[in-house]
Amino acid sequence: MILNKLEKTLPIKNIPRPDQDAAEKPPIYPRYRYFRRTLVLIMLAVTLTPLIVTVTLSFYQYGNLLRSEVRNHIRWNAQSTQKTVSFFLNEIVAGLSYYASEYTCEQLTDPLTLGPIFVRLKKKNPGLVDLSLVDQNGFQKTYAGPYNLVGRDYSKSDWFPMAISHEIFISHAFLGFRDIPHFVITVSKRTPNMGVCGLLKASIDSETIDKFIAATKTEASDDIFLINNTGNLQTTSRFYGKAVSQSFPLANLPNRGDVTLETFKDKTSSEPELRAYAYIENTPWILVLVKKGYTYGKSWSLFKNQMHVIVITSIVLVTLVVFRVANVLVERVRQGDAAREVILAEAEHTSKLASIGRLAAGVAHEINNPLAIIDQKAGLMQDLMEMSDDFHYKAKFHEQITGVQNAVSRCKVITHRLLGFARRMDVTPEPVMVNELLREVLAFLDKEILYRNIRLELNLHENLPTIQSDRGQLQQVFLNIINNAIDALETEGMVRISTSRQEKFLRVDITDNGCGIPPETMKHIFEPFFTTKANKEHKGTGLGLSITYGLVNKLGGTISVDSTVGQGTTFTVLLPIG
Amino acid sequence: MADPWVLIVDDEKEFASTLAERLNLRNMEAVAVYCAEDALSLIHTVDHVPDVVLLDLKMPNIDGLQALEAIKQYDPSIEVIMLTGHGDKNIVEGISNMILAYIIKPVDLKELIKKINGAIEKRRAALSGADQGRIP
Repeated sequence: MILNKLEKTLPIKNIPRPDQDAAEKPPIYPRYRYFRRTLVLIMLAVTLTPLIVTVTLSFYQYGNLLRSEVRNHIRWNAQSTQKTVSFFLNEIVAGLSYYASEYTCEQLTDPLTLGPIFVRLKKKNPGLVDLSLVDQNGFQKTYAGPYNLVGRDYSKSDWFPMAISHEIFISHAFLGFRDIPHFVITVSKRTPNMGVCGLLKASIDSETIDKFIAATKTEASDDIFLINNTGNLQTTSRFYGKAVSQSFPLANLPNRGDVTLETFKDKTSSEPELRAYAYIENTPWILVLVKKGYTYGKSWSLFKNQMHVIVITSIVLVTLVVFRVANVLVERVRQGDAAREVILAEAEHTSKLASIGRLAAGVAHEINNPLAIIDQKAGLMQDLMEMSDDFHYKAKFHEQITGVQNAVSRCKVITHRLLGFARRMDVTPEPVMVNELLREVLAFLDKEILYRNIRLELNLHENLPTIQSDRGQLQQVFLNIINNAIDALETEGMVRISTSRQEKFLRVDITDNGCGIPPETMKHIFEPFFTTKANKEHKGTGLGLSITYGLVNKLGGTISVDSTVGQGTTFTVLLPIG
Repeated sequence: MADPWVLIVDDEKEFASTLAERLNLRNMEAVAVYCAEDALSLIHTVDHVPDVVLLDLKMPNIDGLQALEAIKQYDPSIEVIMLTGHGDKNIVEGISNMILAYIIKPVDLKELIKKINGAIEKRRAALSGADQGRIP
């Protein structure tokens, strides 16, 4: 009974049962999950942060560069258009000024003089529509041009008061009598005593300026047109409509001087537009250039697409590498930890066994002394009885004393076995008869074998050599394996133990006809903490077979397992001879 | 030839006295003492030393090992059989050249008598060819 109790306290029952509801992978503990997660996050942060910062900066810098380029282009475009328009106007003004100074008022009043002047000016500036002389009262005295406009009164026109008070004047665009958008350039014709005798007036269609402007338009702008200071279109705009009749929504008057740039975004459009404003000197006009898709030009899209491809590829690659590296690292750490824990567990197990051994030895010793007394007393009674004459009940007494002695003998077997168990802690090699050792181990298990109705087949080779090994540890090894085999069996099971010699090794095969071990499970059965008993009544530590494996290796032997699902399992232990 | 003279030293009084009585019944001169001190003083005072001492390993004050040493120092020819309730092989191995045998309790009497007879023979053989010493 003591033995049975002792066996229960030993962890030899806690051997993984690989052939029951197999756990396919070694368990991943939460600490490793946490470790892996932290590792992945740190590595991703370390690798992706510089990438993201670089990409963000590149986006910002390249965007700035592109925008500055767009701004420069539109500025250049504005400046060149400004010059072209000014040049065109200056040329007409210069022509008009020349004729105004060269001819007298009377000469200019003469259609025969004005006509050839018009022809000459028109030759130089084909955009000129007509030429006329308007007197100081706004009355058109002479006219040269395609229309019959002699005698028209301009005194009520908007431009007239301004024109009469300026030496040179360029008007807003207006529809006029012809109902065609045009503007006028006037040069005052002065009398010799510096009075104004009239205005030399040239009409030019807005369309002419349109053409000039169109010629200067580059890719830097999408629309280019002139407005006056109230936003009224002076030339036709692609986006804002026809000259004079429609207006451009001018929010603030731009500064005079250089080109003014402005970014504008209304609620309906997805992208902002860039606007450039420039005053045309000596005119009431403001040149306007509009560039749509300011930030999303072709170069920008290309750059953005390339960056997206690079960034996404990098992130995917980095993530894959990080996960792979983290997995490898965590696996290494886990293996290291597992190996360490096996050593610790083995040490703990050994020390636990040593304590039990000491306890067992103490118990055996304490029991042996009173047993010896009972034995001797009974013996003496026996002796005395044999020496005395026959008496009533002598035979009965004899029988009782023999019963006591037999009981003592049984106790003796038990205490000797306990002392034997204590001796298993010795680590020194000694001669071991493996067959005898196997029988001893089976003696520990005979009750269980009987109780479970297991058929035990012993096929022990009789002429095996004695080997030098550690008795206690060998007992532990076979106890573990046989226990494991017994646990695998259903009722009517069979365990066969065979010994034989195989070259320089002694071979022990322990075969059961249990349910067998699936191949996936087989890979892990010697791993520490691998158990299939997790949900079973006997919760395994998953250390039994790994300790067995460690012990066999320590003793210079090997252990292997061969199993067929549904047929059974064979553990083979090879121990070195000598 | 005199009966074998056996001294039993064991602090378990009942065991020692009963064993002595049984050996006496078997034509041996067996005396039981219950501590090593008594055993040593007895050996020192008697005219002729015991042929065999059955010595318990674990005893209070002077234990079996110390007693063994003292006995062997006094007269190396005295044969000693160790009795132990303890199976400590290491201890027994350490003194194996000083003792004739060791027996784990409970004692099998037949085995013990066999060992005592062996000891007597060995001792007498040794004494017959050598100095008779203290044997009168």
